[in-house]
Amino acid sequence: MLPLLSIAVFLPLLGALLLMVLPDKSRRVAHTISIGFTGLTFLVTLAIWSRGIVPGGFAQVEEVSWIPAVGAAYRVGIDGLSLPLILLTSLLFLLSSIYSARVDKRPAVYVVLMLMLETASIGTFAALDALLFYVFFEVSLVSMYFMIVGWGYEDRQRAALMFFLYTLLGSLPLLLAILGMFLASDPYTFDMRVWIDNPPLTGIAAMLALIAMVFTFAVKIPSFPVHTWLPAAHVQAPTVGSVILAGVMLKFGTYGLIRFALQMTPEAFRTAGLVILAFGVFSAIYGAFVALAQTDLKKLIAYTSVNHMGYVVIAVAVAALSVDPKMRAIALDGATLQMISHGLVTGALFFLVGMLQDRAHTRDIGAFGGLLQNVPLLGWSFIIAAFASLGLPGLAHFPAEFQIFLATLNIQPWAIIAILAIVVTAGLYLRAIAKVFMGEPVEKWATMPDLDRRELAVIIPLTLLIILVGVAPSWLLDMIHTTTSTLSF
Amino acid sequence: MSFIALTLLAPLLAALLILSVRRMAGGLALLGIGISLLAALASLAGAFDGATSQLIMPGLPNMPLILRATPLTAIFSALVATVASFVLVYAVGYMGKDPEKTRFFGTMLLFVTAMQALVLAGDWITLLAAWELIGFSSYLLIGFWYRRDGVASAATRAFIYTRTADLGLYIGIFVLIGAAGTTEISVTLQTTGTAATIAGILLLIAAIGKSAQMPLYDWLQRAMAGPTPVSALLHSATLVAAGAILLIRVAPMLPGEALFVVGLVGGITAVITGLIALGETDLKRMLAASTSSQYGLMLVAIGAGVPVAALLHLIAHAAIKSSLFLGAGVFQHDRGDTDLKKLAGAGRSRPRIYFGFVVSALALAGIPPLAGFFSKDTIIAASLASSGAAWLAPLALGGTVLTGAYMARALRLLWVGKAQKTGDSGMVWMGSGIAVLVLLATILGAGFPAVERLLDAELPTSLMAAGLGLSAALSGLALGWFVPAARLLGPIRGWALRGFAIAGGFDALVLRPSMAIAAICDRLDRAIYNGVLAIGRLNLSLGILSRKSDEQGIDRAIFGFVNRTIATGARARLLQSGLIHKELALTIIGVGIIVVLLVAVPMYF
Repeated sequence: MLPLLSIAVFLPLLGALLLMVLPDKSRRVAHTISIGFTGLTFLVTLAIWSRGIVPGGFAQVEEVSWIPAVGAAYRVGIDGLSLPLILLTSLLFLLSSIYSARVDKRPAVYVVLMLMLETASIGTFAALDALLFYVFFEVSLVSMYFMIVGWGYEDRQRAALMFFLYTLLGSLPLLLAILGMFLASDPYTFDMRVWIDNPPLTGIAAMLALIAMVFTFAVKIPSFPVHTWLPAAHVQAPTVGSVILAGVMLKFGTYGLIRFALQMTPEAFRTAGLVILAFGVFSAIYGAFVALAQTDLKKLIAYTSVNHMGYVVIAVAVAALSVDPKMRAIALDGATLQMISHGLVTGALFFLVGMLQDRAHTRDIGAFGGLLQNVPLLGWSFIIAAFASLGLPGLAHFPAEFQIFLATLNIQPWAIIAILAIVVTAGLYLRAIAKVFMGEPVEKWATMPDLDRRELAVIIPLTLLIILVGVAPSWLLDMIHTTTSTLSF
Repeated sequence: MSFIALTLLAPLLAALLILSVRRMAGGLALLGIGISLLAALASLAGAFDGATSQLIMPGLPNMPLILRATPLTAIFSALVATVASFVLVYAVGYMGKDPEKTRFFGTMLLFVTAMQALVLAGDWITLLAAWELIGFSSYLLIGFWYRRDGVASAATRAFIYTRTADLGLYIGIFVLIGAAGTTEISVTLQTTGTAATIAGILLLIAAIGKSAQMPLYDWLQRAMAGPTPVSALLHSATLVAAGAILLIRVAPMLPGEALFVVGLVGGITAVITGLIALGETDLKRMLAASTSSQYGLMLVAIGAGVPVAALLHLIAHAAIKSSLFLGAGVFQHDRGDTDLKKLAGAGRSRPRIYFGFVVSALALAGIPPLAGFFSKDTIIAASLASSGAAWLAPLALGGTVLTGAYMARALRLLWVGKAQKTGDSGMVWMGSGIAVLVLLATILGAGFPAVERLLDAELPTSLMAAGLGLSAALSGLALGWFVPAARLLGPIRGWALRGFAIAGGFDALVLRPSMAIAAICDRLDRAIYNGVLAIGRLNLSLGILSRKSDEQGIDRAIFGFVNRTIATGARARLLQSGLIHKELALTIIGVGIIVVLLVAVPMYF
């Protein structure tokens, strides 16, 4: 049996190394390697999917001893929580490569950074060793930092500083928590499976570890009040940076929240559940309202991420608080599906805003009008993605949010006030659509070209998936449900 | 089973085909809707034979999607398909010259698909999904002429109003699923007690939004920014009907107090929006206000505990109101406007259309033997027989008087004036669409006993109700024809023209506060951002400071020491001149110092 999972993790890195040793680092070569290797990786993840997962535990585990003295090893594996995220990651990187095919500012460096980021991202979701997880988790930040600084927009220095500060402060507590659980495990090990089956920490120590982990992941998710790096980084990042950041890297936070905080310190999570829930509820509503106040399209979408990720926090918290295993599975199904939906929908939205910015060199809502007439393909794609983002049935977010709110009302009825946010997001997207795409066409954009083939190759798969997940989510949910219905915590 | 699938798939596939091949839009639309109509009628025939068919599809884990043709849902399905078919026949003429008719027919068919899913839904997820999708289609159709002034805002408003109310549907459904443990509608309707009351009120909120009831009726009049066939189909007979359909379906579950609230909301809406219709200066907006008013009457029937009476009025109203809208569309084509002043005499120039309009208007007012008479009669009888008769009956009668009054006023305004019309293009299609619907408005009453038998319903009838209803209708018609609206409305006319907005309405109560909250959150967010940035800057300046202190403090001290040592060495080197006499002299001086020290030191110890 080929170690497909390890191949998926390291194939992009191999591509990066290949590009480094090649004498010819022209734009053409760089992007060919980029598309080729992300495409191959995508195929490998499809093969991983076809091998399937098992209920109650991890499948396709690959293990190589690393530092035996401390029980650290190279361990990767998947379950219904990580497999969909790995598929999403490899898809978004492939589409990002296609979209980037026109980048001509130091293309080789750009591609190397992106491929390294893909290895780090898939590795983060696949890792079953806490030390390995931490390494991947940190390495991803480095690539993203350089992408923002090197290819970002006007105010990238400040955004990079913000990103740097948060990441510096953000990930240290996680390391402390990991070390704490390592020291409490007997015999010493970094094996996440062991920690999940027998949570090593109890009592006050578990609570401290939980607080540390929740802090790290809250920065990443991002949740109020540690979210302010996100709009700054998103607005300044290049389009692909925004797509990867929102589509993949935010999920490190929610994935970690389930995998680490919920599964490794379950008792403490139950105790602190109400507090975490309150943060989730506030974040969801707050994110929606701040988004409503924005006039910069990219910033607007960035803030809706705070809102959508807030729903995931809510779902995880109510799952922890639930005593009914059925409702708990519904909440976690919703949480996991919401991560995937958000990756598809927000990925599409950032791509589209990027395409609009490429044409108009502005993102200000007020600068546009009646664009539906000039660029119908772009306009309709945006309308579909926007309606998906506001939770229209038949599109990707609806099944996830339905499950999240259903579980919330039946577990912690007060928290259902977060559902108010779906009206606010409706308002903000419709306002944006009305101002940008409807109304009197603006003379200035009369000659704006519509989407070309390269752009359609990015947008069409995303749009089809958004509809597919919305209309028939069962192919994804069955996979997720296999794990959530037997999740041990 | 196959008929249900066909009912939905035919319009869906036609829509996708129209949107992809982009030609023959009208023909494909008629083909799709025709097949759908036949399938729906087949389902209805099956229901008469006592067969219940269903279609189950995978949805969420343990929550399948179900479409089910029961007698009630089969009636709705046939109704939707019938009205949609003839509105589309009309639209082939009406939209004949519009350059974007592919988009129009595609969206209309998507709407019909969603509406069929809504009426046939056997589980709450399907119902909720269809409910929101008809809202979305409505948004697209109201915004069809998106370049025109005010269209974007009308579409946005319609979606936001209904979505706000939809929260009631979401939460109501969650309550029911939580209580019953399943998403199947028929099972959840067994819910009793507090859960049933709470869910009932929540569902009522959703219905208020969709059926444009008090206080959320304002969006419907603005929705007239869309093409007229849209108004005829969505904003009279189908989309708006969703609220009433929902309440008719859940009526068996609703406890007495919830029912009374439903009836009261409906009754008050019937009167208030009736007054708005009476004062309205635009034909389409008047018909829209009338729609709210008629749905108010249906809610009265539900509140009185006779949902089948509401169903009958829904059926009658669907045919009547769509034909009225389509007639209005013809007048609009002639005059290029829907303002009643500009439409003066429009009926005179199109006598046949005007005749159909008159028949439908009389049917709506409740004149026998037209369909509206029978349905209104049962509503009034139901309100008289209910426990809340003291409230419901006067409101129902008031609504009936107003119906007569505003319809008579419209008939007079359309008739009095100069005849004048433009070309006849598309009139064949438009005329035949109207003709069938007017015919239905005339004869549907004869089919009502069959519906009652199918649903096994015993309807209240009383001679008093018939007498009261008829005299209310006649007096209303007389008032509307002979007395100007300004005189009828008196001092409240201005308020009626403003839509009886209380305390500034939706804008002042919801919209502006939301924007204010958004602004506050935004300021808070900037404060946090700047705070973190300040911390960042502080750290940076600390870093610079420590670098400086390194450079100027420790570094300087160390380098200074080194430099001084070197300088001292350099100076010391000057002594090493290599001249013998100098060296000797230095040696002697040195020896002398040592001797002095050696001699002197012991003296002190």
